[in-house]
Amino acid sequence: MTEVDARELLDRPTSGLRRLVALGATMLLVAGCGIAGQSPTPAPTGTAGPTATVAPTSGSPSPTATAGGSPTAAPSPTQAPSPTEQPSPAGQLDFANWPLYIDIDDSGAYPTLDKFTAETGISVRYLEDINDNEEFFGLVQPDLAAGNPTGYDLMVFTDWTVERMIRLGYLEPLDHSLLPTFAANAQELYLDPWYDPGNVYSIPYQSGITGIAYNPTLTGREITSFDDLFDPEFAGRAGIFSEMRDTLCLTLLSMGVEPVTATIEQVQAAQQKLLEAAQRNQFRSDYGNDYYDALAAGDLAITIAWSGDISQMQLYDNADVRFVVPETGGMLWVDNMVIPKGAAHPIDAHAMMDFWYDVENATALTEYIGYFTPVSGVAEQVLEDAQTARDEGDEEWAAQLEVISQTAFPSNDQLQNVYTYPQLTEEEERTWNDLFNEVIAD
Amino acid sequence: MPRRLRWLTPYLFLLPGGLWLTAFFVLPMLVMASISLQEGSLSSGYRLTWNFPIYAEVITEWTTQFVRSIWYAAAVTVLTLLIGYPMAYTIAFRGGRFKNILLLLVILPFFTAFIIRTLSWKLILSDNGFVLGTLKDVGILEPAFRVLATPVAVIGGLTYNFLPFMVLPLYVALEKIDRHLIEAGSDLYASRRQTFLRVTLPLSMPGVFAGSLLVFIPAIGDFINADLLGSRETTMIGNIIQRLFVQTNAYPEAAALSFVLMAAVLVLVALYARFVGAEELTRG
Amino acid sequence: MTAAGIPIRPAARPVATRRPRLGARLSRAVLPAYTLLAVIYLFIPIVVMMAFSFNNPRGRQNITWQGFTVQNYFDVWSRSDITGPMTSSLIVAATATVLATVLGTLIGLALTRYEFRGRGPLNLLIYVPLATPEVILGASLLSLWVSAGVQRGLLTIIIAHVMFNVSYVVVTIRARLAGFNRSLEEAAMDLGANEWATFRKITLPLIMPGIIAAALLAFVLSIDDYVITLFVAGQTRTFPLWVYGASRFGVPPEVNVLGTLIFVVAFVLIVVQILWARRRASIEQALAKEVK
Repeated sequence: MTEVDARELLDRPTSGLRRLVALGATMLLVAGCGIAGQSPTPAPTGTAGPTATVAPTSGSPSPTATAGGSPTAAPSPTQAPSPTEQPSPAGQLDFANWPLYIDIDDSGAYPTLDKFTAETGISVRYLEDINDNEEFFGLVQPDLAAGNPTGYDLMVFTDWTVERMIRLGYLEPLDHSLLPTFAANAQELYLDPWYDPGNVYSIPYQSGITGIAYNPTLTGREITSFDDLFDPEFAGRAGIFSEMRDTLCLTLLSMGVEPVTATIEQVQAAQQKLLEAAQRNQFRSDYGNDYYDALAAGDLAITIAWSGDISQMQLYDNADVRFVVPETGGMLWVDNMVIPKGAAHPIDAHAMMDFWYDVENATALTEYIGYFTPVSGVAEQVLEDAQTARDEGDEEWAAQLEVISQTAFPSNDQLQNVYTYPQLTEEEERTWNDLFNEVIAD
Repeated sequence: MPRRLRWLTPYLFLLPGGLWLTAFFVLPMLVMASISLQEGSLSSGYRLTWNFPIYAEVITEWTTQFVRSIWYAAAVTVLTLLIGYPMAYTIAFRGGRFKNILLLLVILPFFTAFIIRTLSWKLILSDNGFVLGTLKDVGILEPAFRVLATPVAVIGGLTYNFLPFMVLPLYVALEKIDRHLIEAGSDLYASRRQTFLRVTLPLSMPGVFAGSLLVFIPAIGDFINADLLGSRETTMIGNIIQRLFVQTNAYPEAAALSFVLMAAVLVLVALYARFVGAEELTRG
Repeated sequence: MTAAGIPIRPAARPVATRRPRLGARLSRAVLPAYTLLAVIYLFIPIVVMMAFSFNNPRGRQNITWQGFTVQNYFDVWSRSDITGPMTSSLIVAATATVLATVLGTLIGLALTRYEFRGRGPLNLLIYVPLATPEVILGASLLSLWVSAGVQRGLLTIIIAHVMFNVSYVVVTIRARLAGFNRSLEEAAMDLGANEWATFRKITLPLIMPGIIAAALLAFVLSIDDYVITLFVAGQTRTFPLWVYGASRFGVPPEVNVLGTLIFVVAFVLIVVQILWARRRASIEQALAKEVK
């Protein structure tokens, strides 16, 4: 019996099998093309290593599997900025930015980026990959430390992270001959900052204040003090940031300590204050960008927040929420555009950086995201746009624009009451982080 | 193939897969072991210093999270067992023509991304969403009540996500039980309950064992549920490992922590196997 | 007393068949009702996901219902920030599935049909990854790449996916091959077919359902994987990674659209596979009957 079965099966055409093999081969082929087109070459590089500021140890910058197996670290070859050798853009830009940090229209397209592409011919791959300075830094650090390309040409980091990256040698110096609009339009306040004297590696993108946001409907009253965050009345509905500096510095300020001069004992005291509240479940959670979600949804009544986010929230997601700089002081930060070492398209990055200093483009950005702009002339432009809107009969938008023109630049009152971040050594960084981690992980 | 080389065949078959697993499972483990004993940082470089004390440091620093993870994983295993056993029993014994369809229905939600399912739960359970919000409006719940950002939400999410992993092995084991044995039970005048306790349940133990493992092991290392549905009080050991590896880049500490977790899992599984008497089940 | 310790009563009277009492009927209905409820429970988030794929939110928050629209189903293809990761996911899943299925099937065949030394270590090699939490699998691979200075990207993701899928494929294939009847093969060889022809025409088609099932499992596991991918992806984004990142500041309805589409496609594939398997089974049954 089985012989007959077997004969039948033997004589059956194997078309089914062939089809399957063909399918598999096609899949592999498609996948192969996909791989070739998608990722940057993952070739393991020798260790270029961090440059002069950090003394190289006898080992290599990356952990080795065996004690003696590493190639000796040669200092990084490029000291001269590569842009001057190739003045023409490549036509492609990989731009990593924070979410909610660029204007977007109803269908999900980015009009300003499209304008950029139309003007320069450079196509932009825009990636909202940055949620948290530490987190994103942690993501790119292994590649930067090993001298591998990160896959990004342009990134936006807050000032204190920029300072750290400069110190570790992770950034490409800028070629200011490619940034004429910056030279022409940048505001004084943002030039030659504490974290990057002379703007050698960075130019500002947007700026803002870390303060407190709250929903008066849920809190039942007005909020003016940072200590309201610790009010047991809001237990379980208050939020702090997972970003160590914002949270610790605001707490230090609430205790009368200026962050730049804080001693380690004062930081410990601040940590204790936070820890005590955390242990009695005062905070619903610690947040990165996701505080926006929770606040808009009503899961949070009061939280640490970034000024521009709240402007956006009022316009688009939840009109009840308000932003306030705590009486004891808020943190003024500047987000900067930087080019990581080993970027594949540095000229294109420069083109984009310069593009944002054109008044028209900066205005479009500010009108949407509501943060402080480093470009002069924007406030006036916004007012003009408000007038145009009023002429066209759009009273609502005109009113909103007028508000934005006020918030496009920090007011004098605000400037009196904001502080900048302290410069920390690696050692101090670790201590502050360890202290803070106790607060955010139970 | 010439006859005398015939004996090579199985080894040739095993070679590609075996090499792959060796290179990308065994080797990374060895590398991670080595890293755990190194000291330094990404910016200043690493040196192999045979830093064994790091294991003790890591255990003492994160004991709370370890214990919490074990406790959550155990709770999830028990819950999935309690919820899943009746399901598997019904499908195996009462399923009839619908067995395959029912099994399909159990597996089907599994085909949506884990992340999306958990996010859906976050939406459903949100403080003032259409479930809780409505209940609060009606007055059944007080306004400050919440499910999210509590251990309940995390355990609930884990139970939901791992339920199919318990139901399927249970079903397979129950299905295999020789119906005659059960009939014999009732022939001998055992009540339905007695038959179940004395015949069905013991015979289904291989399924219970397999299902428990398939739930406990991933659950103990999970961090997505804790991340999306929990709060700082529900931080699990998986969250810590992820944070240390991907954000702070504290590789030696993270590597040591991973090995401690693995050791804990192996010990717990071995204890469980002894308890269930399942040594024979894992042979071959 | 019997050896089992259960007392034997004298020969029983046949139990008259009566209609079961209402109470007994109800209690018989409990289990099926419970199972039905449990299945509904399993589908709740799926239904919610599908429902909100039709939502038309004003801002970035897709958490309250703001109006019905099918526009999302058309918009999703033009959003390169979503289609990019989705494409990566598909490429990874396709490649990893093919490779893992081939490697795993070979191992499965070797394990079930041949005698060889080293079974113990091999079993260990295959089963220990299954018993390792994903966090650790991902972390160890990250350690490897960082140590070697290899840049993480699409290639490292594929490597990781093949690694964890091989074990699943082996387990599935072994289960399917367990009761494999070798007499067909032997008959074929008696008829003069050489080993390769036997394999191609007899063995492979017979185990094909098992291979397909294993491939399907590997594909799903790969598309869905978040944890291991997180560690080895570097800056490459796959779909689950993107969803997680987007969830921090509001998941757009387009994500639900893709989730729904994946679900529907998977559903269709499974149904097709079941129908096909049934058809094969009935053909084989018919063949067997004829020969008798």
